[in-house]
Amino acid sequence: MAIPNFLYKGNRVLLKELTKTDFKLRYQGSVLGYLWALLRPLMMFAILYIVFGKLLRFGSDIPHYPVYLLTGTTLWSFFTECTNQGIQAIVVRGELIRKICFPKYIIVVSATLTAIINLLINLVVIIVFALINGVTPSWTWLIVPFVVCELYALSLGISFLLGAINVKYRDITSIWDVCIQALFYAVPIIYPITMIASTNLTAAKIILLNPIAQCIQDIRYLLITSETVTTWNFVGTENPVWKFIPLIIVIIILTWGSWYFRKKSKKFAEEI
Amino acid sequence: MENNIVISVKNLHKSFKLPTERAWGLKQAIFNRLKGIKGYKEQKVLNGINFDIRRGEFVGIVGRNGSGKSTLLKTLAKIYFPEKGSVEINGNLIPFIELGVGFNPDLSGRENVYLNGALLGFSNKEMDAMYDEIVDFAELREFMDQKLKNYSSGMQVRLAFSIAIRAKGDILLLDEVLAVGDAAFQQKCSNYFASIKNHQTVVLVTHNMESVKKFCSRAILIEKGRIKLDGEPQKIAEAYNNLWKQ
Repeated sequence: MAIPNFLYKGNRVLLKELTKTDFKLRYQGSVLGYLWALLRPLMMFAILYIVFGKLLRFGSDIPHYPVYLLTGTTLWSFFTECTNQGIQAIVVRGELIRKICFPKYIIVVSATLTAIINLLINLVVIIVFALINGVTPSWTWLIVPFVVCELYALSLGISFLLGAINVKYRDITSIWDVCIQALFYAVPIIYPITMIASTNLTAAKIILLNPIAQCIQDIRYLLITSETVTTWNFVGTENPVWKFIPLIIVIIILTWGSWYFRKKSKKFAEEI
Repeated sequence: MENNIVISVKNLHKSFKLPTERAWGLKQAIFNRLKGIKGYKEQKVLNGINFDIRRGEFVGIVGRNGSGKSTLLKTLAKIYFPEKGSVEINGNLIPFIELGVGFNPDLSGRENVYLNGALLGFSNKEMDAMYDEIVDFAELREFMDQKLKNYSSGMQVRLAFSIAIRAKGDILLLDEVLAVGDAAFQQKCSNYFASIKNHQTVVLVTHNMESVKKFCSRAILIEKGRIKLDGEPQKIAEAYNNLWKQ
């Protein structure tokens, strides 16, 4: 259990100070500074939109495809940023761990909080973008934060688990880089899931069992259009248990990750 | 625990697993496991340490390089976990294994003070109360809004040192840091340590026998992970110097 002493004041102060420092230092020395947090996902979106939306004509059957794509790339950026920072956090702050005693999970959480702040700002951009694009506001927008929490829980679980292993085996960072590349294509970000479903129904269902895919599709459903194919309306039509697989995966990874991290954190100071 | 005992160490053991060959990385780990190689050598560092420290004692821990002093200090600071035995701390312990832990060159002096404070477990409010004293002791008031990278190394260490001695804790752990900066500042530090003798509990690891004689009310000599002598600073300093004469 990584969280029970979370309410202890000293830990909260430390979390705040570390996050503030990360945030301040991230874009220091760059001319555009914090704007990069916005520009990066927007640029990635622009490239993907030109290549896949305009040249390859993906998503011509999806209403508001640009917003749809932007939502996907933003959430994906969040996931990669969160896990990359989280996994490396302990090693990056190794000097601190060797010199001072404090709850180690604070380092991981503070590293991922920067990603959360970036995501929140980007969500505002998405909403502005959606309104310009003619998406009608809906009460379902209010559910989006809960799905974001699910995605964050997954990222945090992965960060705890792989971050703890990374202390001893630095190969993890490189392995995760490759995993991220593979996952990008395994999640319907640039291609519409309907494209897979039309050729191979089972493959589409398997893709939607991935919690990342489930979260992205859910947020698109809630934010943009109820025509979105989601885990809830596509998988497990005969047996509803399948619908809960992504959520169960998230819970298992977070629990396992926190437990493993807690067990290993006692030795971080010696092994790092 | 008796009321005025603030640190109680009982039968403390600690050993480290030192990688024998390059046991770094996943490939080597799998390779070693397949070949049945352990991949590490066990190094005993602390070998049954027992002592109590009372409130107000200024304890110097001395010994050769590699005798286990720093490991002992890190175990007291809860950075390392005891392998066997126990360490009980009664009160708020402020560890300075190194000065300026977490100092960041791109932050201002002020920001670094608050960050360092947060790492030691102080809230911003508590730091507000200590801030002026820290800055005054460091004599760096006009530089506090400058980035740390624009400080001279002497200024940086002065700031770090001032945090260490102005941090309001019951027990202070210091590793090999007693006097820093130029002669005037060193004199100031020396006066400070002389003044807190018998008021503040301090555990100090050092090789400087002059400071042991001058500041400590008690000293402990460690040899090969065991306590060899424990008592009067004068005697311990002599025994330390004799280590090389045998």
